[in-house]
Amino acid sequence: MYPRPIPENAKVQRALYLGGVTLVVILWLLPLLAVMLTSIRSNEELMAGNYWGWPQKFSLIENYKAVFEQTAMLRFFLNSLLITIPSVIGVLILSTLTGFVLSRYPFRGSNLIFALFVGGNFLPAQIMMIPVRDLMVRLGLYDTIYALVIFHIAFQTGFATLFMRNFIAALPGELFQAARAEGASPFQTLRHVVVPLVRPALAALAILVFTFVWNDYFWAIVLTQSDAVKPVTAGLNNLRGEWTSAWNIVSAATIFVALPPVVMFFMMQKHFVAGLTMGAVKG
Amino acid sequence: MSRLWRRNRHWLTPALFLLPGLVLFGTVILAASIETVWISLHDWDGIGAKTWVGLANYIELADDPQFYVSLKNNVIWLLIFMLAPPIGLALALIVNQQIRGMRILKSLFFVPLVLATVTVGVVFGWVYDPNFGLLQLFFSSFGGTAPALLSDENFVTFAVAAAGLWPQIAFCMILFLAGLNGLNDDLIAAGRVDGARGWRMLRHVVLPQLSQVGFIAIAVTVIGALRSFDMIAVMTSGGPYGSSTVLAYQMYQESIFSYRFGYGAAIATVLFVIMIAFIAWYLNGLIKAERSNA
Amino acid sequence: MSSVELRKVDKHYAGYHALKAIDLEIEKGEFVVMVGPSGCGKSTLLKTIAGLETINSGQVMINGRDVTEEEPGDRGIAMVFQSYALYPHMTVAENMGFGLRMANRPKAEIDAAVKRAAQILRLEEQLDKRPKQLSGGQRQRVAIGRAITRSPEVFLFDEPLSNLDAALRTQMRVELSSLHGQLGSTMIYVTHDQVEAMTMADRIVVLNKGRIEQVGSPLELYANPANIFVAGFLGAPRMNFIEAKVVSADASGVSVAAAGLPAITLGDIDASGVSAGDAVTVGIRPEALHLVERTESGTPAFSGQVRLVEQLGHETVLYVDASPLQATNSDSGTGNFTLQLNKVSAIGVGAKLQVGFETGDAYLFGPDGRTLTPRKPVAST
Repeated sequence: MYPRPIPENAKVQRALYLGGVTLVVILWLLPLLAVMLTSIRSNEELMAGNYWGWPQKFSLIENYKAVFEQTAMLRFFLNSLLITIPSVIGVLILSTLTGFVLSRYPFRGSNLIFALFVGGNFLPAQIMMIPVRDLMVRLGLYDTIYALVIFHIAFQTGFATLFMRNFIAALPGELFQAARAEGASPFQTLRHVVVPLVRPALAALAILVFTFVWNDYFWAIVLTQSDAVKPVTAGLNNLRGEWTSAWNIVSAATIFVALPPVVMFFMMQKHFVAGLTMGAVKG
Repeated sequence: MSRLWRRNRHWLTPALFLLPGLVLFGTVILAASIETVWISLHDWDGIGAKTWVGLANYIELADDPQFYVSLKNNVIWLLIFMLAPPIGLALALIVNQQIRGMRILKSLFFVPLVLATVTVGVVFGWVYDPNFGLLQLFFSSFGGTAPALLSDENFVTFAVAAAGLWPQIAFCMILFLAGLNGLNDDLIAAGRVDGARGWRMLRHVVLPQLSQVGFIAIAVTVIGALRSFDMIAVMTSGGPYGSSTVLAYQMYQESIFSYRFGYGAAIATVLFVIMIAFIAWYLNGLIKAERSNA
Repeated sequence: MSSVELRKVDKHYAGYHALKAIDLEIEKGEFVVMVGPSGCGKSTLLKTIAGLETINSGQVMINGRDVTEEEPGDRGIAMVFQSYALYPHMTVAENMGFGLRMANRPKAEIDAAVKRAAQILRLEEQLDKRPKQLSGGQRQRVAIGRAITRSPEVFLFDEPLSNLDAALRTQMRVELSSLHGQLGSTMIYVTHDQVEAMTMADRIVVLNKGRIEQVGSPLELYANPANIFVAGFLGAPRMNFIEAKVVSADASGVSVAAAGLPAITLGDIDASGVSAGDAVTVGIRPEALHLVERTESGTPAFSGQVRLVEQLGHETVLYVDASPLQATNSDSGTGNFTLQLNKVSAIGVGAKLQVGFETGDAYLFGPDGRTLTPRKPVAST
């Protein structure tokens, strides 16, 4: 291990080190902590200019209630769920299929197809913006949730294919030969061998794709317009324009937007980190 | 039919499995990207008919001062983002200790990465607020006044890019932690036996083993820098006076706000070419690394 | 009708000729072991029989049916893999019944087949466990059980014992042989371990560089290797080889000599294949070398010094430096000769001794590696 581990028995040193790192974390997260603090401050205090002092009154409930009642955030939040969940499911299904084929059925051109999935995944969003927007307009899907779901499934399939292909390729090859020798058809192999074995990869992929899609802003503003379909990211930015001086409300809404991915992250942290590093490191 | 299916299912089924993902990705992502190049050779308002103009959009672009502002800002983003790998490595080294409670601290370091860029934008908009923000608090505690970073043409891009650096550092940190986990303990032990320690150990024993992870960290950072859009849209909308645009944002503005889709497509194409050159370099490096591992 | 028949089977990889026009017939109920050094094509050959590898030309017949174009599952084969290839997410019973479930057989039939296989392999207690909870030997038996439940016409084994420790390997060897006796099915078994080949096979197929070098019963191959490769591959310790020159070749026999070895004459050899001056190889098995009191004229002998002694209890292996006479391609790699004595010996390192052998025990290999000496009698079993 590097750096050299602080010895188990050096209790004082270990405590001091931990304290030091805690200090660094606090500095690191200071901007976020400031927003959290503001989100529980009352209007009156902000008016009075008490931005950084200890709040005399905690307005946690009032502020978040205001977000739910006086803004459309709840609607945006629901939209985000309606966009994100089907996208994640779609990506998992498609990438299990493509990853399985690209790792286990080599054919002429399979490497080229794989390279296209990988390469396409690095393209800047702007390069496909105009045609995708045009396509959705022509399909009558512009400003609907479907436009975002379709786009996100398509785009994330690139990364997810890379991810699943590498995971399935790392499984022992003899498992697949055995299935074939036992007379399992490709579909049976998928159902009885691949799907049970890739569960951990699917969990990691699900949380990653959830975070990517939930956090998307660009496509939200390119493909939607109305409040009825807008996800939270676009909604939050609008809100900030409308509630310019009410930093406490904006802060509460910000925390509200950040909550699902952060909670997901802490719940499935191992999968998230494993997924991110595997996707990148094995890429 | 069933005989035909049975004889051919071993290749027909895989083909059917591959089809949905391939068709969707091929049309929505790949074909669309190529179509943009085609559109860039036209004059188009996004609704009516396209008029062929050849390279006119590119010629106009070459004379557009805004284009050079964007290009320069892209370079600034790139340079500032290059701080992410070393800072990420430093943080990874700091938290790579097995002490009770270190795990939760590690996770807290990762939080900025999970936040939406919009959230990061709003958070830093608040930090930079010249009247009430954190920065103002910092400056006033020394008796000074905070500069209005986001409305100053000279500072705005640096300020926005610095905000973008926050999650990027967390990303690099995760990568380097994975790299540190994968270090060969025997080599470290051998280095200790040979008397290497501290900086020399890092330089001669640890860093060479992290070269692949380091390469990936630099690559994702470059891509992240070139992709920057959300932060600019949220924090400045390209302002003041277009001084904080990058190619991605300028392209969006020209298309969506000015209905100049052909011109926007030309800007996107330039970004595309820069990106392609970079992706080729990246994939080439990966293939080389894979070969030397094999 | 043979159980498995290969006709001119040819397989190329990019820039690599893996199988070169393989012809082979395997009888029903035979236990055939394919053996050879790594990379000789034995596993590839097994996989072409299974259908897991396609071939570039030739035919694979199973029970008289051309299965060249058929999927593995339709060929009537079952395969046991080196890594066992057990599904970690299935119980032992589910693993064993996998093939039948894939064929949508009724549950009662699957259960009966799994039960029967479990009985044969003494796995009844383990049926509800996962592979992770089993020992290496048990996993191996589950893999075999999975093959048995399908009641295939041909069993294919791909180095199935190489992941087991030495003691278990011996035990499983015996079990597999008795299983073969019990089921009476055709079994094709790939290994690089010549002990497995010698002890289990009805017939051994020796492969080298994508070609069949020789096919025959273990003792036949041991006594009458067709060429220098087979002679060197089968037998432990390895045969001693001496590079020699032909002194004369006529109707009375072939006379050869090497530096440090006086000319010896080997009779009964068709001398038309060689002529004086040809480079040939003399082979002599370690157990055919023995210690002599002094060099007698007429029997070939040489003197040397003991460099290393291996006491194996029931036998002693000596490594003897006989410079200037050199053993090529020997076990020790130093040019020393290997002697195998069927007793405990008090000879120590450094001892000087005289080594002799009967000309009748020697093999002569021509310039092309083919065996020139006449057939030797095979020890009857």
